[in-house]
Parts: sequence; structure tokens; C-alpha cells
Amino acid sequence: MRANRIHVLPIALATAILFTSAGAIANSYRPKAQPAKIADSPLTVTPARDWNKLSVAVGKNTETWTLDGEELNDVTFFAGIEPGKPLIREVSKKRKPLPKFTKETLLVEVPELVEGTYRAGKDIATFNVTGAKPDKFLGREGIRFTFEYIDNDALPRRGEGRAALANGLLYMAVFAAPKLNYYDRTIGDFHTLSDSAQLNQTT
Amino acid sequence: MKFRALALYAALTVAGSAAAATKPKVQPAPPPVPYAGAYQPQGVDEIGLWREADENERKLANSPLLIRDEKLNAYVRQALCNAVGTDRCASVRIYLVRFPVFNASMTPNGTMEVFSGLLLRVRSEAELGAVLGHEFGHFEKRHTLQQYKAARKGTDLMSWAAVLTSMAGTQGAYGSFDNLQLSVLGGLARFGRDQEREADLIGLGYLNGSTLRPGAASRVWRNLILEREASASERGLRKPDFDRVAFFASHPADGERADYLFALAAPDGDTRDDGADRYTVALAPWLPTFLDDQIKLNDFGGSDFIITRLAETGWTAPLWRARGDLYRGRGNQRDLMNAADYYGKAVALDPSLPEAQRGLGLSLFKTGRQVEGKAALQRYLSLRPDAPDATMISMLVQKDAK
Repeated sequence: MRANRIHVLPIALATAILFTSAGAIANSYRPKAQPAKIADSPLTVTPARDWNKLSVAVGKNTETWTLDGEELNDVTFFAGIEPGKPLIREVSKKRKPLPKFTKETLLVEVPELVEGTYRAGKDIATFNVTGAKPDKFLGREGIRFTFEYIDNDALPRRGEGRAALANGLLYMAVFAAPKLNYYDRTIGDFHTLSDSAQLNQTT
Repeated sequence: MKFRALALYAALTVAGSAAAATKPKVQPAPPPVPYAGAYQPQGVDEIGLWREADENERKLANSPLLIRDEKLNAYVRQALCNAVGTDRCASVRIYLVRFPVFNASMTPNGTMEVFSGLLLRVRSEAELGAVLGHEFGHFEKRHTLQQYKAARKGTDLMSWAAVLTSMAGTQGAYGSFDNLQLSVLGGLARFGRDQEREADLIGLGYLNGSTLRPGAASRVWRNLILEREASASERGLRKPDFDRVAFFASHPADGERADYLFALAAPDGDTRDDGADRYTVALAPWLPTFLDDQIKLNDFGGSDFIITRLAETGWTAPLWRARGDLYRGRGNQRDLMNAADYYGKAVALDPSLPEAQRGLGLSLFKTGRQVEGKAALQRYLSLRPDAPDATMISMLVQKDAK
């Protein structure tokens, strides 16, 4: 009995590692100039340079892309968040609920929604929306906003988001990178990438 | 059998060293012994711990999360000095960290970290002094060192027992090893809880000897219990049990603490000043920020409890505004109606509060009262023409005008 129990753990561990690494391998590549559909939604982008797509999605209808690594520069696409749903997956619906996008949410409140999601999701206190102005996104009236925050690694980060509402759904692309080096180096790539975003009209 | 004896021995060693545990049932906490003066670490363990603490303090001192407001820092230091005495508080460096959680901590070298979530929750200088005095108690009794030594003793014992168990290789030996492991780990957790009780006793000793009201210590925990109940009930969770101590819990149960802290307080201290007014004045510039940090954690019940508690001494414009933000953030139709009402009250008290005008405008807008909403948003824009979202808001105003 005892001996069996001792052997169970390494096997479980090995299995876990196997599955984790299988997951890691599934990170994929988004070559330049090829239109890419985001999270099986009508949203497509055509990258002007090569990007990496992470296999891990932060929530339903989302996709995260990066150039140098997730914590260094990442773009998260929210491709059609339905009313009543949070932006990212909730760790626990009951114990740690996240703010929800609602039918009544105005475009001007989208930065607050992103702020609330970051703060509640990461348990951080330092998050400032530094700017928000009207700007076209997906050919519609949209919002472009900027923010800064300090994550739990105490590294100050800066970010930019662009959002628009279409058919009652929220479409958004959010870029975040450490202020140090990465933000300035790759914000231009985010602009080009988000400018290329289109909403397929047939659906 | 040999292993059972070992297990018993281990449990006794670890728990035995915690024999200093207090029996805080009836007597008020005794006043602290005279302060021995600046202390320097002794022995290789303690010197090592201090070095690590120095290293961490260097990082902390440069952290972007620090609140560097001199006034607030000076006030918190004053509260500590009032609680533990000026000679003792000279050995401490206080760092205020913007982190929306109820906590404070102290390292062996005298680094005290105070989280903004604690500052938001305590109501008076006496309550703040009680928590800081407790942390100082850990420092003065050198608890980190004791905990470190106890942990090393316990884990040494487990390592040797693991070797012996595998040599014996019998089922009985494995069974005994499991028992030993539980005894040691459970004993360590209990040791930690006893240290907390000792720090509580010492903290109350400082307060009893100070000019502050010692009954405040118990109030801190009672308020925290009420807040957790409010949070759980709003989330539809079972009411937490504040008297149950989990086997591996690091702290005594909140209910137990509230009770024994009440018993430890000197009964003649109730007439003393609790410094609530001084505390309110000192926190006022930061209150809207700390409230905002709390609200955005999306803990509706807990946040509403904190706001209404703060309002017990009278509703102010920032408090109504915070409540408006809380309700608008949840965003049900009924919440938006309430939010508009709360912002309206904030605006009535202080028409120059831009965030309240913004919230009022948006809430009215979303509940179909666009003309009034537009007027409020316009007031927001005239109060803060350089607001980060000014162009976005003015677009909303103009769009509606068409």
C-alpha cells in the first residue's frame, strides 16, 4: 500500500509536466502579411511583421500575441465580449468576481472596465488611466486610451488600448509593456497591428 | 514504537518552545519592561537574518509602490511612537506601501511595512497604534529568529526521521513518519499562532501604558469580522466561522483575538482619547485614493461596509462619490439609479468635486436622463478641462446634443 502511494506522485508529476510542455509547444507563429482570424471571431488582423501567438488565452474570445514574451510586450485581443461577461476568465466566479461588460457600458467607461479587471485580477493598487480620446477602431467610432500600472513584480508598465462596440459586443485590443525599453520600442508595432484590424461584415 | 516516541518527542520539542504562550483570560496586559536600547544581532543565525532583511529593505526603499507623502509618513510614525513610546519607536523605519489589503509586517532589522489597505480600515490613532504595536511586539521579542530556529529544528528532525524510516522500511515506520510529519508541521503552525498571541499581549501592554485607548485593539478585529461577513453575504457565500482555527493556520482565529484583546485592555483606559479626529484629518488627503483602490477590487459587500462605516461620523462628498463609483461599477439598472442618487448627494455637498459630476453625468446618461446627464458632464469638463478623458466626454455631450 505504502509503496504504491509513494510512486503515484512522480507519475502524476510527470504527466502534469508532459501536458504543460505540450501546451507550451502549441504557442504559434503569425507570419507577416497573412490575415489572421482572432479567436474564431469575425475579427481579423493582418500583421506587418511576424508575431507570436500564445497558446494560453486569458478568457473566452480572447487571443494574446507577443513579440518578445508575454510580460515584455503583449497584445490581447478581446474579440466580441458579450454583455454580462467579464473581460478575462474569472478564477472563482463567487469568491473573486471580476467586473462585467454590460449592455449599458459606454465606450468612455471601457478604460474603467480594463482598470477594474487589472486591479481585481492582479490585486494591485497602482493603475492610472492617463488618457482617453475618441478614435476610429474597426472602421467604427471607438476609443483609444492609455494607462500605466505597477504589477506585482514592482515593474512599472505602460499600455494602450483601442476599443469599439459592434452589434452589442465589445471588440478591443490592449497592449502592455514595461516602461523600461520595451514600451517605446514596440508601441509602433501595436499601432500598425491594431490599424490593420477589421471586422468581417458577413457575420 | 521507536518512531512513535520520536514523533511525540518532536511534538513536545516544537510545541514546548512555545510554552511562553500567554493565557490572556482575565488580567489586563502588563506594561512593557523598560526598553533595553538599540539592539545588534547576535550569533550567526540572527546576523544572517538581519543581512537578508537589510537587503530587502534596500529594495523596499526604492519600490515604486511606496507612498512617499511626508505628512502621512510622519503621522503614522507619530501613531507608533504614541503607542510604544518614543525610545522604542526610534529603532523602526516605517514604509507605507500602496497595496489594498489589510496588513502590516515587521522584519528582524526594524523595517515596518504598513499597507494602505490597513490605513483605510482602521478608524482611529488608537486602532492604528494597536496594530503597529503588535508588529513592534514581534520585533522586540525577536520572533523571526525564534520561528526560524523552530522551523530548522523541526525540519532537521523530519529529515533524520525520513532517513531512519527508509532504513527501517516497515509499514509501521512509514505510519510513524506520517504522524511525526503532522506533529512537526502542526506544531510549527501552533508555534506561529502562539507568537501572534504573545505579540498581541505585548502590543496591548504598550497601549495600556500609553495615552491611547487600549480597547481599540479589539475593535480592529471586530470591524474586520463584520467586513468579511458583509463581503461573504454579498457574494452569496456561507458566513465565515471566525472561531475555528485551521490546523495549519498562521494566526489565531479573528473571533478569539477580538475576545482576548478586549480582556487584555486596561479597564480604566476607556476614558482615554482614541485620536479618531486626528486620524481622520491625517488620512483625509488619501482617503479618496484608498477608497478607489478598494472599490476597484470588486468586493462589493466589503467595500460598501467600509464606506458606510466611514460615514458613521457623517457622510462627506468623497464618501458619497465612492459609493456612487461602487454602484455604477456593478452596473445593474437598480445600481445605476442608486449611483445617480449618491453622486447627486456628493454634488450637493461639494459641487466642485469633478469625479462626482462625471459619475453623476454617466449614471444619468445610462438611466435615460440624458439632458441632466449632459449638464453634469459639462460641469465636469469645466471643472477639469484637462481631464485625461476630456475629449471622450465632450464627444458624448455633443453627440447627444444632435
